[in-house]
Amino acid sequence: MITLTHFLVVSACIFCIGLYAVLAKRNAILILVGIELMINAAILNFVAFGRYDKINYGGQVFALFAIVLAAAAVAVGLAIILSVYRHYKTINPDNITDLRD
Amino acid sequence: MNEFSSQLPSILDQIIASIPVFKPELVIIVAFIGTILATLFFDTIWKHSSLAVAFLGIIASIMVTIPQIDNPTSGFFGMLIIDNFAVYARVIIQLALLVVLFLIQQYFKNKTFGKNLGDIYTILLAAGLGLNLLTVTTNWLLAFIAIETVSISSYILVGYFSETKRQAEAAMKYVLFGSVCAAIMLYGLSLLYGFTGNLDFASQAHIQGLISAPPVMISIALLFMFVGIGFKLGFVPFHMWTPDVYEGAPTPITSFLSTVPKIGAIVLLSRIFQAWVSTSFYFSELTLLFIVVVAIVTMLVGNLIALRQTDVKRMMAYSSIGHTGFLLMAVISTQTKDPQILLFYLAVYTLMNIAVFAFIQTLEEKIGSTTIADYAGLGKTYPILFTIFTFVGISLIGLPPTAGFIGKLLVFSATFDLYQTTQDIPFLLLLIVGALTSVISLFYYFRIPLYAFLRKGDETQNPPIPLTLTYGIGIIFGFLVLLFGIFPDLLLQVFN
Repeated sequence: MITLTHFLVVSACIFCIGLYAVLAKRNAILILVGIELMINAAILNFVAFGRYDKINYGGQVFALFAIVLAAAAVAVGLAIILSVYRHYKTINPDNITDLRD
Repeated sequence: MNEFSSQLPSILDQIIASIPVFKPELVIIVAFIGTILATLFFDTIWKHSSLAVAFLGIIASIMVTIPQIDNPTSGFFGMLIIDNFAVYARVIIQLALLVVLFLIQQYFKNKTFGKNLGDIYTILLAAGLGLNLLTVTTNWLLAFIAIETVSISSYILVGYFSETKRQAEAAMKYVLFGSVCAAIMLYGLSLLYGFTGNLDFASQAHIQGLISAPPVMISIALLFMFVGIGFKLGFVPFHMWTPDVYEGAPTPITSFLSTVPKIGAIVLLSRIFQAWVSTSFYFSELTLLFIVVVAIVTMLVGNLIALRQTDVKRMMAYSSIGHTGFLLMAVISTQTKDPQILLFYLAVYTLMNIAVFAFIQTLEEKIGSTTIADYAGLGKTYPILFTIFTFVGISLIGLPPTAGFIGKLLVFSATFDLYQTTQDIPFLLLLIVGALTSVISLFYYFRIPLYAFLRKGDETQNPPIPLTLTYGIGIIFGFLVLLFGIFPDLLLQVFN
């Protein structure tokens, strides 16, 4: 029997993996992957909670919109990373530090 | 499924009945599609056609928004809440967008790109649509969609003309930081949805769910949720992107980023605040405490780091962080009253910031630099520009006789009233830090006239500035700041 708790634990693990990928900051693409993992953890939560909301299906609808918005944000992110690569020939955020105090 | 099909006609009826409420946004959507078509087909015939479509679209949207005053309604099953607060906020947003449209046109006028300038107007309209939605909702779903619409549009605005290394870097930092904040906010929202089973944060069911949820989980969910709003507002733990992006982005885009998105986000925050802090349970106290602490830290950090900046755009970025702290103070102090004071401060802040960036842009076109040291000795060459620039700086500090002074005075007196009725020490701290940071801000705003008038520059004679549209916008906004400073009732009565 798979209960709500199982879903929540899995989503919390996915969220933490995503957060680690972001904070480790090795490569801009990997940061995008981490962001995608975090968004998917949230979507999993929404769908799991949505099971108890049979009237409005708020969780399911939110999950659908979140998928679309994540795709849009990642598309823009990849385009910008491509333009960064053209200028710097690297996408490691630690080497891209022209702007700082 | 059968239950659903029997309800379908009534649901459809309600959706159709809600469409008139949605008119201002529909007009912007039409203008959005119109600018795409104009960019594709008519820009080769008349190069200003996309600008004209965007301009007419925003004007039409304002015309449709204004009749909604004093006629509070809701639509789409309570997803849209139209009240006077929303109407005034949207009018300020759209007027600011109108000005930014021309600043962008002027900035890119003399530059040649391989890219289409018309696209930037399209994106600006998309950002306007998101901002409009942000002001009219109490629903997490719509709020999240609106925040993401504004964010994605802003990433494109910053990154679209990335011709230099710095612009590309600014765009990358912005998109990565923004997406992380949005993802964390989404996770927080999913937890809030789990506690309450409801997405409308002002509804009784939502507040009931928050009261009965365990405190640890509520703290995590609320802090995660504030990450997203904090990113849009640029308050302190989430302000790191602000200086880099403001410095790296083209100047008119910076003037957009520093003013308009803040209006939308602060309206949303104020709605959350009004719905939540009235109860005496754990989550209300946490929200109040979080915003008070963040306001204090934001004012201190923004104003102190601004002291040692050498680039005027970077300095304005830290100044806008400081002003965000002050806006949070305005949100706290107007919790029980009309949002009149908040709207006044927002309008004045928008006027001042757009004026400053219009002057920065004029000077950038003339001397090709945004470093404060390069303004040395220019006060003699451009006396009118620097006099008004200094005057707007005085308004940003909050000294009389300017509109900035009236705005700060109203916020301070409202906070003082709050302190006298509640006798809570945090409110007193807010007052002290607010006054202290206003004094600190004097030192960095006055560096501009210091360099311009008192330092000697190189003796090369710069040609006089022709009266361009950008310069004109700066002068007019400077005079408006003076006008609303002497006659604040002109603006206050509008919001009454």
